Amino acid sequence: MKKKLQNIYLSFIIIFLYAPIATLMILSLNTSRTRARWGGITGKWYLSLFQDEAIMGALYTTLIIALLSALIATVLGTAAAVGIQGMKLRFRTVMMGITNIPMLNADIVTGISMMLLFVAFRITMGFSTILIAHITFNIPYVILSVLPKLKQTNRYTYEAALDLGASPFYAFFKVIIPDIMPGIFSGFLLAFTMSLDDFVITHFTKGPGIDTLSTKIYSEVRKGIRPEIYALSTLMFLTVLFLLVIVNTEPKEDKTQRAKRLERESRARKTSRFLLTRVMPAILSVVIIAGGFYYGSQNIISGDNQVVVYNWGEYLDPEVLELFEEETGISVIYEEFETNEIMYPKVQSGAIAYDVVCPSDYMIQRMIDNDLLAEVNWENVPNIKNIGKTYLEQSRQFDPENQYSVPYCWGTVGILYNKTMVDEPIDSWSVLWDETYRDSILMQNSVRDAFGVTLKYLGYSLNSTDLDELTEARNLLLEQKPLVQAYVVDQVRDKMIGNEAAIGVIYSGEAIYTQWENPNLEYVIPKEGSNVWIDSWVIPKNARHKENAEAFINFLCRPDIALMNFEYITYSTPNEAARALIEDPDIRDSKIAFPSAEMLKDCETYRFLGDENDAVYNELWREVKSK
Amino acid sequence: MPNKLIDIVGVSKSFGDNLVLDDLNLYIRENEFLTLLGPSGCGKTTLLRILGGFETPDEGKIIFEGKDITSLAPNKRQLNTVFQKYALFTHMNIQDNIAFGLKIKGKPQSYINDKIRYALKLVNLEGYGDRYPDSLSGGQQQRIAIARAIVNEPKVLLLDEPLGALDLKLRQDMQYELIRLKNELGITFIYVTHDQEEALTMSDTIVVMNQGYIQQIGTPEDIYNEPENAFVADFIGDSNIFDAIMVRDKLVRIVGVDFPCVDTGFGTMKPVDAVIRPEDIDLVAPEEGLLKGIVTHIIFKGVHYEMEVTANNYEWLVHSTDMFPVGTEVGIKVDPFDIQIMKKPESEDEEAVSIEE
Repeated sequence: MKKKLQNIYLSFIIIFLYAPIATLMILSLNTSRTRARWGGITGKWYLSLFQDEAIMGALYTTLIIALLSALIATVLGTAAAVGIQGMKLRFRTVMMGITNIPMLNADIVTGISMMLLFVAFRITMGFSTILIAHITFNIPYVILSVLPKLKQTNRYTYEAALDLGASPFYAFFKVIIPDIMPGIFSGFLLAFTMSLDDFVITHFTKGPGIDTLSTKIYSEVRKGIRPEIYALSTLMFLTVLFLLVIVNTEPKEDKTQRAKRLERESRARKTSRFLLTRVMPAILSVVIIAGGFYYGSQNIISGDNQVVVYNWGEYLDPEVLELFEEETGISVIYEEFETNEIMYPKVQSGAIAYDVVCPSDYMIQRMIDNDLLAEVNWENVPNIKNIGKTYLEQSRQFDPENQYSVPYCWGTVGILYNKTMVDEPIDSWSVLWDETYRDSILMQNSVRDAFGVTLKYLGYSLNSTDLDELTEARNLLLEQKPLVQAYVVDQVRDKMIGNEAAIGVIYSGEAIYTQWENPNLEYVIPKEGSNVWIDSWVIPKNARHKENAEAFINFLCRPDIALMNFEYITYSTPNEAARALIEDPDIRDSKIAFPSAEMLKDCETYRFLGDENDAVYNELWREVKSK
Repeated sequence: MPNKLIDIVGVSKSFGDNLVLDDLNLYIRENEFLTLLGPSGCGKTTLLRILGGFETPDEGKIIFEGKDITSLAPNKRQLNTVFQKYALFTHMNIQDNIAFGLKIKGKPQSYINDKIRYALKLVNLEGYGDRYPDSLSGGQQQRIAIARAIVNEPKVLLLDEPLGALDLKLRQDMQYELIRLKNELGITFIYVTHDQEEALTMSDTIVVMNQGYIQQIGTPEDIYNEPENAFVADFIGDSNIFDAIMVRDKLVRIVGVDFPCVDTGFGTMKPVDAVIRPEDIDLVAPEEGLLKGIVTHIIFKGVHYEMEVTANNYEWLVHSTDMFPVGTEVGIKVDPFDIQIMKKPESEDEEAVSIEE
């Protein structure tokens, strides 16, 4: 009985630990793009994963960084461990403490301080800075796995070697190293794994145009994670699992058994020693040298005729970049960000001189306020004529003189509903407070969106800073809370496709895609008005290649190019000329993608309200969420 | 008399505040089996490590064949060490262990192979060349460690408690083995141990050390029979050591009873230490002894009985082949030449030398 309970408990723990990964693995085999529907088993995501140049490039970078940083950290860490072992006890304890700190330190602190250091010493962010950062955080892991081995080694073996005439150097390599080899090896594997896993530190220390897998994946968060990433994550998990199994199955045999095994393997050992001392280093050096050439050649291309682009993840058709490079001879260094808030400090710190960035409306306002942007020279951007007047007008809310920004994508916030699950067409925010839809309502889990919707429903501005209006909105949100099925972000899309809810607050860009997947869904901008958002290209003040940036913006405003991007991103384009080129009339005249000026009449963009008001919003939102 | 091979001149060494060797002078002759004997912490291992080059003395020098080698690196010395814990290279097989030093010297492979065969034969481990150290017993490992050292044909072999980890039977076998090796090879052995029996069995010369000082240098017989002070007497074998008074030449007063002895020159009515080995005490009928006592304790030790006899409020340790049951009244008799008289320590330094137990 007791045994049975133990087993049940154990299986619960295992399920708890591995269910998420199992889900991921299953989804990586799902034919359907959305997780909400099971379309049968397929391996196509694995195929397209290996055909995706960006991901493969990131994979290569990840591996070469993991390998190089683990190798260098192993050499440095082992040397450090030997040094520490030789110290007097008191110094040793102090040194151990010092070397352990980076390991215990929050990654984000390490990452930011690394970034600041690189900025202070004017080191250009890129491959080398990531490598240095990874070596730094890997060294303690190596020390930690080498030191115990070093403690175990009989110190007399080293002296015995000296005694027999070996120089200290020879004795170290012939006697000490073989003895602590298991420790060095597991230190290396640990460092390799840590480097593969790292996101935060890489994020802060990487430069434009270079991505590791983790930063690549994260940059795609905004547009929803592609199934290829499930496939990739599955492969990564299996790799790490494999490495950890190797590290942990280090033979537990006792000395005599080991000696017996060594005798048995004597011949096999000769071969494996040959592999270890000749073949492996040869392979490693080939990989490293090839990697060096790869990065070297990348740097040569990038010469000085370049443009450094900082854009949302998955927010531009990669072919467009190729076309641009072909036509202009300007090479593009392309980096992606996940949220405005992540982008802002990177631009502000000046660690990297971006030439052209694509923030959202309120963030552009904030950047203008903080004098971070350069005025666009419109002579270099004649294609601005293709951008609809409505959108330039809307842009005035955050860029009053239309001096700094060129609209790129835009959309609205509205209600997505399932026609089969509601009684009559919806046209008002009021349904979000309708008892009939208890537990069928999905709200956006974001302070500005939740308050924006409520303020609009109440007839106020969604940029309101009036405390009474905000308190009223909070009370209304509290009243709504029992009706809400969930506060979510991405899952609105999946849940609505999967018929899990009747009504959801969603962005128009997502709405088009959901309709393809589930024709019963309908999108509406409520009559009270809503949020209209615009992402626009801007040029930071510290841009090094301003004219190239303007050429880039101008290129994106070309109708054919804007069309390519529209088809790739599926978010509404402000480019009227491009819209005219859309062949499918259903899309060209889609009310979701291109609502009439009438429908946008009461829509507002978000504005940056200042830190104090932000705090008020956050506090009120916290009250809603916590009660 | 063979030449001095090593001369240790005024060597001092301390670790932190702990003075381990204090102005130590000693020479070692060619082909001598010299043992450094003393309790742990007496400085014997430190002295050996200084000879091997693993420690540098704070003061003094080491002269080897007339040359000062005090600061010469270990790998440049013509000495080889056999370490306490064998210190074999566990990732190499026996052959490679033995060949280690020869390979460094760049000897040709055929020479190395001959040497390996010779050395394995010498330590009676032929055919073990392909084995790995951890599959060997402690005694076998120890012999490999010795083989590894002697193939280099050192002038001196330093051995640091090499038998300490072995069981009694193996230890005795190895003792004979070492003596045989020394005789066959004709090299100088400097041997460190805290086991007095081992020292007495193997050595030509024993150096008894305590607290960084040499207490006595001599042959095993000298050391056993004529201990120079109470420490040596106590450390070597079992002893009865008494605070005694030298009444005059050839008469000593022990626990209030005057014993005739053979020592002279200690003055009259001077306090001395008197040592009587337990096997030198004869138990006789009460009236035949110089004093009377009662047997309080008895243990059978195989060759003899070990007894404790209380006489004049002192516990006398007695070894005898005759058995006297507990409670028996006996007489105690000692032959004059079995009483060893030693001067009392006078200076503080000498005080430190006195028994610690």
